[in-house]
Amino acid sequence: MRFIVLLLLLTGGYANAHQFTPTYPELEMSHMAGVYKADMVLLNTREDIRYYGLNVFDKDWNPVRFATASKIVPLDYRERKYITIYISNREVDKAKYICSKSKILLTVREPSIVSSRICSKLK
Amino acid sequence: MKMKKLLLIPALAVATSTAGASIPINGFIESKCVIQSDTAGMFGNPTVDKLSTKSADGGVMPIVRYDIVTASKYKAVITTPTSFSTAPSLSDTVDWTSTTVAGQMSDAGMSVFNTDKVIYNNGHTTEFDLVKAGSVWFNVTSEAEYGYGKAFPSGNYTALIVAECIAK
Repeated sequence: MRFIVLLLLLTGGYANAHQFTPTYPELEMSHMAGVYKADMVLLNTREDIRYYGLNVFDKDWNPVRFATASKIVPLDYRERKYITIYISNREVDKAKYICSKSKILLTVREPSIVSSRICSKLK
Repeated sequence: MKMKKLLLIPALAVATSTAGASIPINGFIESKCVIQSDTAGMFGNPTVDKLSTKSADGGVMPIVRYDIVTASKYKAVITTPTSFSTAPSLSDTVDWTSTTVAGQMSDAGMSVFNTDKVIYNNGHTTEFDLVKAGSVWFNVTSEAEYGYGKAFPSGNYTALIVAECIAK
């Protein structure tokens, strides 16, 4: 059974999934002085979701200031996007979690909707 | 000399085919948590003042699937609704009750998810420590009761379940 699950994971056999990796990203110096970066990968195979929001939090889940190309990421069905999160050296000691959360459009009128959020922990 | 060259051809051919047969296939499985919206829920309306996802009440239970590649790297946090995201105008309070349990699982050892789960936020948030790798389906029931036996006004009702996977 475990093998089948693993095979499905490897072949990307997700029908309706949200994936955000790596689990433990490492911050490294960016090309800008005093700015660190972490590289993340976001995959959307949720047909009902077209946008994901990005956030950075400290250990107590208070927001931490960060920069990225777009804090709301448009992502088509079955699209994968590489995302770089930039954090200044003034905030870098506080930053603990990088999260992506599905954004549900107002036009979605299903009786029960699942909003998914995945948070990676900075090393 | 020509004879020696001719003898070399099959030898080279064998060497080439041997090299061609030993192309490595590399793979790397990284730790990750995948959240899947398995079944979209549906509210049943068994009595005029009640909306419920229980099948006994005519509803459909929402199911969220988590795939965990490496054990003990994540915790799952599922928060059930405490308000409607869309609804007709409601003049009275709505009382929400809910449960979240690990139902189907790929490993019998995942039953510890239920025994060790932590419930807070007035019973609306359930936290599961994902100490086993594999797939698990969380069943969510949600009930909303309107006022004191008041009838819910007709219209569309939508509620939101938040399924989170937090790296430990």
